[in-house]
Amino acid sequence: MLIITRRPGEKIMLGDDIVVHVMEIVGNSVRVGIQAPRAIPVYREEIWNAVRDENRAAADAAPEDLPVPTKNDA
Amino acid sequence: MSTLTVESTRFGTLEIEADAIIEFPAGLIGLDSSRWTIVGEITDGPFQWLHSIDDPSLALPVTSPWAFFASYEVELSDEETERVDAGDDTVVYVTVRAGSELSAFSANLRAPIVISGGRGHQVINEAKDAPVRAALFPEAVVAAPQPAVA
Repeated sequence: MLIITRRPGEKIMLGDDIVVHVMEIVGNSVRVGIQAPRAIPVYREEIWNAVRDENRAAADAAPEDLPVPTKNDA
Repeated sequence: MSTLTVESTRFGTLEIEADAIIEFPAGLIGLDSSRWTIVGEITDGPFQWLHSIDDPSLALPVTSPWAFFASYEVELSDEETERVDAGDDTVVYVTVRAGSELSAFSANLRAPIVISGGRGHQVINEAKDAPVRAALFPEAVVAAPQPAVA
Protein backbone atom coordinates (compact mmCIF):
# COMPACT_ATOMS: atom_id res chain seq x y z
CA MET A 1 0.00 0.00 0.00
CA LEU A 2 1.13 3.50 -0.82
CA ILE A 3 0.59 6.06 1.90
CA ILE A 4 0.95 9.72 1.00
CA THR A 5 -0.03 13.03 2.54
CA ARG A 6 -2.22 15.47 0.59
CA ARG A 7 -3.66 18.85 1.54
CA PRO A 8 -7.10 20.10 0.57
CA GLY A 9 -7.05 21.13 -3.07
CA GLU A 10 -4.35 18.63 -4.02
CA LYS A 11 -4.91 15.63 -6.24
CA ILE A 12 -3.69 12.11 -6.82
CA MET A 13 -3.39 10.50 -10.24
CA LEU A 14 -4.13 6.78 -10.62
CA GLY A 15 -2.58 5.97 -13.95
CA ASP A 16 -3.32 8.55 -16.64
CA ASP A 17 -7.12 8.60 -16.44
CA ILE A 18 -8.20 8.60 -12.82
CA VAL A 19 -7.96 11.69 -10.65
CA VAL A 20 -8.68 11.67 -6.93
CA HIS A 21 -9.20 15.21 -5.69
CA VAL A 22 -8.96 15.92 -1.96
CA MET A 23 -11.50 18.71 -1.84
CA GLU A 24 -11.95 19.65 1.79
CA ILE A 25 -11.62 18.38 5.32
CA VAL A 26 -14.43 19.09 7.73
CA GLY A 27 -14.02 17.67 11.22
CA ASN A 28 -13.27 13.98 10.76
CA SER A 29 -14.63 13.79 7.21
CA VAL A 30 -12.76 14.20 3.97
CA ARG A 31 -14.62 15.23 0.84
CA VAL A 32 -13.12 13.51 -2.15
CA GLY A 33 -13.83 14.08 -5.84
CA ILE A 34 -13.14 11.25 -8.25
CA GLN A 35 -12.83 11.61 -11.99
CA ALA A 36 -12.66 8.30 -13.83
CA PRO A 37 -13.45 7.07 -17.35
CA ARG A 38 -17.10 6.13 -17.55
CA ALA A 39 -16.30 2.44 -18.01
CA ILE A 40 -14.91 2.39 -14.48
CA PRO A 41 -17.56 2.24 -11.80
CA VAL A 42 -16.80 3.98 -8.51
CA TYR A 43 -18.20 2.52 -5.28
CA ARG A 44 -18.15 3.30 -1.61
CA GLU A 45 -16.31 0.33 -0.13
CA GLU A 46 -19.04 -0.72 2.31
CA ILE A 47 -21.62 -0.83 -0.48
CA TRP A 48 -19.28 -2.77 -2.75
CA ASN A 49 -18.74 -5.28 0.08
CA ALA A 50 -22.45 -5.64 0.78
CA VAL A 51 -23.28 -6.18 -2.90
CA ARG A 52 -20.44 -8.68 -3.31
CA ASP A 53 -21.77 -10.66 -0.32
CA GLU A 54 -25.31 -10.65 -1.76
CA ASN A 55 -24.12 -11.72 -5.20
CA ARG A 56 -22.14 -14.60 -3.74
CA ALA A 57 -25.01 -15.66 -1.48
CA ALA A 58 -27.41 -15.55 -4.44
CA ALA A 59 -25.01 -17.69 -6.48
CA ASP A 60 -25.21 -20.43 -3.83
CA ALA A 61 -28.81 -21.22 -4.78
CA ALA A 62 -29.86 -24.40 -6.54
CA PRO A 63 -32.95 -24.49 -8.78
CA GLU A 64 -34.83 -26.63 -6.24
CA ASP A 65 -34.32 -23.94 -3.58
CA LEU A 66 -36.80 -21.62 -5.31
CA PRO A 67 -40.45 -21.81 -4.26
CA VAL A 68 -41.79 -22.01 -7.84
CA PRO A 69 -40.36 -23.80 -10.86
CA THR A 70 -38.32 -21.56 -13.13
CA LYS A 71 -38.26 -24.03 -16.01
CA ASN A 72 -40.94 -26.11 -17.65
CA ASP A 73 -40.59 -29.59 -16.25
CA ALA A 74 -43.35 -30.92 -18.50
CA MET B 1 -27.48 -18.35 -36.13
CA SER B 2 -24.45 -19.66 -34.30
CA THR B 3 -25.02 -20.96 -30.81
CA LEU B 4 -22.78 -21.42 -27.85
CA THR B 5 -22.98 -24.49 -25.65
CA VAL B 6 -22.62 -24.30 -21.89
CA GLU B 7 -22.66 -27.44 -19.76
CA SER B 8 -24.48 -25.92 -16.81
CA THR B 9 -24.04 -27.68 -13.48
CA ARG B 10 -27.63 -26.71 -12.66
CA PHE B 11 -29.50 -27.06 -15.94
CA GLY B 12 -27.46 -29.44 -18.08
CA THR B 13 -26.65 -28.49 -21.65
CA LEU B 14 -27.65 -24.94 -22.55
CA GLU B 15 -27.69 -23.84 -26.18
CA ILE B 16 -27.25 -20.08 -26.16
CA GLU B 17 -28.02 -18.01 -29.25
CA ALA B 18 -25.45 -15.34 -30.03
CA ASP B 19 -28.01 -12.59 -29.48
CA ALA B 20 -28.86 -13.95 -26.02
CA ILE B 21 -25.34 -13.31 -24.75
CA ILE B 22 -25.19 -10.36 -22.39
CA GLU B 23 -21.84 -8.65 -22.07
CA PHE B 24 -21.11 -7.13 -18.64
CA PRO B 25 -18.15 -4.78 -19.23
CA ALA B 26 -17.52 -4.45 -15.48
CA GLY B 27 -18.81 -7.92 -14.57
CA LEU B 28 -20.93 -8.48 -11.48
CA ILE B 29 -19.48 -7.20 -8.22
CA GLY B 30 -17.32 -9.90 -6.63
CA LEU B 31 -18.04 -12.53 -9.31
CA ASP B 32 -15.56 -13.46 -11.99
CA SER B 33 -17.48 -13.51 -15.27
CA SER B 34 -18.22 -10.94 -17.96
CA ARG B 35 -20.56 -12.94 -20.25
CA TRP B 36 -23.98 -13.97 -18.99
CA THR B 37 -27.36 -15.06 -20.28
CA ILE B 38 -30.88 -15.33 -18.90
CA VAL B 39 -32.18 -18.87 -18.34
CA GLY B 40 -35.88 -19.56 -17.86
CA GLU B 41 -38.99 -17.90 -19.18
CA ILE B 42 -40.95 -15.21 -17.38
CA THR B 43 -44.09 -17.29 -18.06
CA ASP B 44 -42.75 -20.10 -15.87
CA GLY B 45 -42.85 -18.05 -12.68
CA PRO B 46 -41.30 -14.95 -11.18
CA PHE B 47 -37.75 -16.33 -11.05
CA GLN B 48 -35.22 -16.63 -13.82
CA TRP B 49 -31.48 -17.23 -13.68
CA LEU B 50 -28.66 -14.97 -14.66
CA HIS B 51 -26.27 -17.66 -15.84
CA SER B 52 -22.57 -17.21 -16.51
CA ILE B 53 -21.29 -18.30 -19.90
CA ASP B 54 -17.68 -18.20 -18.70
CA ASP B 55 -18.27 -20.41 -15.64
CA PRO B 56 -20.84 -23.22 -16.04
CA SER B 57 -21.28 -23.50 -12.26
CA LEU B 58 -22.06 -19.81 -11.73
CA ALA B 59 -25.68 -18.63 -11.80
CA LEU B 60 -27.87 -16.34 -9.70
CA PRO B 61 -31.63 -16.40 -9.39
CA VAL B 62 -33.10 -13.08 -10.48
CA THR B 63 -36.54 -11.57 -10.74
CA SER B 64 -38.19 -8.47 -12.06
CA PRO B 65 -38.31 -6.18 -9.02
CA TRP B 66 -41.84 -5.09 -9.95
CA ALA B 67 -43.10 -8.67 -9.61
CA PHE B 68 -42.65 -8.22 -5.85
CA PHE B 69 -42.22 -4.49 -5.22
CA ALA B 70 -44.83 -2.63 -7.24
CA SER B 71 -43.54 0.83 -6.35
CA TYR B 72 -39.84 0.05 -6.78
CA GLU B 73 -37.77 2.87 -8.22
CA VAL B 74 -34.27 3.03 -9.60
CA GLU B 75 -32.41 6.29 -9.29
CA LEU B 76 -28.92 6.45 -10.77
CA SER B 77 -26.14 8.98 -10.39
CA ASP B 78 -25.16 10.87 -13.54
CA GLU B 79 -22.02 8.74 -13.77
CA GLU B 80 -23.97 5.48 -13.57
CA THR B 81 -26.57 6.74 -16.05
CA GLU B 82 -23.81 7.52 -18.52
CA ARG B 83 -22.16 4.15 -17.95
CA VAL B 84 -25.37 2.17 -18.43
CA ASP B 85 -26.55 4.14 -21.47
CA ALA B 86 -29.99 2.51 -21.28
CA GLY B 87 -32.07 2.28 -24.45
CA ASP B 88 -35.68 1.44 -25.26
CA ASP B 89 -35.12 -2.28 -24.71
CA THR B 90 -33.96 -1.88 -21.10
CA VAL B 91 -34.78 -4.70 -18.69
CA VAL B 92 -34.18 -4.52 -14.94
CA TYR B 93 -33.56 -7.50 -12.69
CA VAL B 94 -32.69 -7.87 -9.03
CA THR B 95 -30.70 -10.75 -7.61
CA VAL B 96 -32.45 -13.13 -5.24
CA ARG B 97 -30.97 -14.67 -2.10
CA ALA B 98 -32.70 -17.99 -1.52
CA GLY B 99 -33.45 -19.21 1.99
CA SER B 100 -34.53 -22.43 3.63
CA GLU B 101 -37.90 -20.82 4.36
CA LEU B 102 -39.91 -18.24 2.45
CA SER B 103 -39.29 -15.71 5.21
CA ALA B 104 -35.55 -15.87 4.47
CA PHE B 105 -35.84 -15.05 0.76
CA SER B 106 -34.68 -11.57 -0.17
CA ALA B 107 -33.89 -9.42 -3.17
CA ASN B 108 -31.11 -6.89 -3.54
CA LEU B 109 -32.93 -3.67 -4.37
CA ARG B 110 -29.79 -1.61 -3.84
CA ALA B 111 -27.82 -3.11 -6.73
CA PRO B 112 -30.16 -3.93 -9.60
CA ILE B 113 -28.98 -5.32 -12.90
CA VAL B 114 -29.80 -3.19 -15.91
CA ILE B 115 -29.62 -4.83 -19.33
CA SER B 116 -29.86 -2.90 -22.57
CA GLY B 117 -28.64 -3.55 -26.08
CA GLY B 118 -26.90 -6.81 -25.16
CA ARG B 119 -24.95 -5.14 -22.36
CA GLY B 120 -25.48 -5.49 -18.66
CA HIS B 121 -24.48 -3.44 -15.65
CA GLN B 122 -24.94 -3.94 -11.96
CA VAL B 123 -25.60 -0.45 -10.69
CA ILE B 124 -25.98 1.21 -7.32
CA ASN B 125 -29.52 2.45 -6.80
CA GLU B 126 -29.47 5.82 -5.02
CA ALA B 127 -33.20 5.72 -4.27
CA LYS B 128 -34.20 5.76 -0.62
CA ASP B 129 -35.71 2.58 0.76
CA ALA B 130 -33.70 0.26 -1.49
CA PRO B 131 -32.16 -2.25 0.92
CA VAL B 132 -29.58 -4.87 0.01
CA ARG B 133 -31.87 -7.49 1.54
CA ALA B 134 -35.55 -6.77 1.02
CA ALA B 135 -37.83 -9.59 2.12
CA LEU B 136 -39.48 -11.15 -0.92
CA PHE B 137 -42.30 -12.65 1.07
CA PRO B 138 -43.00 -10.14 3.87
CA GLU B 139 -46.13 -12.00 4.95
CA ALA B 140 -43.91 -15.01 5.72
CA VAL B 141 -41.54 -12.78 7.69
CA VAL B 142 -44.38 -11.48 9.84
CA ALA B 143 -45.54 -15.05 10.48
CA ALA B 144 -42.06 -16.38 11.26
CA PRO B 145 -41.11 -16.82 14.91
CA GLN B 146 -37.86 -14.89 14.42
CA PRO B 147 -38.44 -12.16 11.84
CA ALA B 148 -35.56 -11.64 9.45
CA VAL B 149 -34.13 -8.15 9.32
CA ALA B 150 -34.08 -6.58 5.87
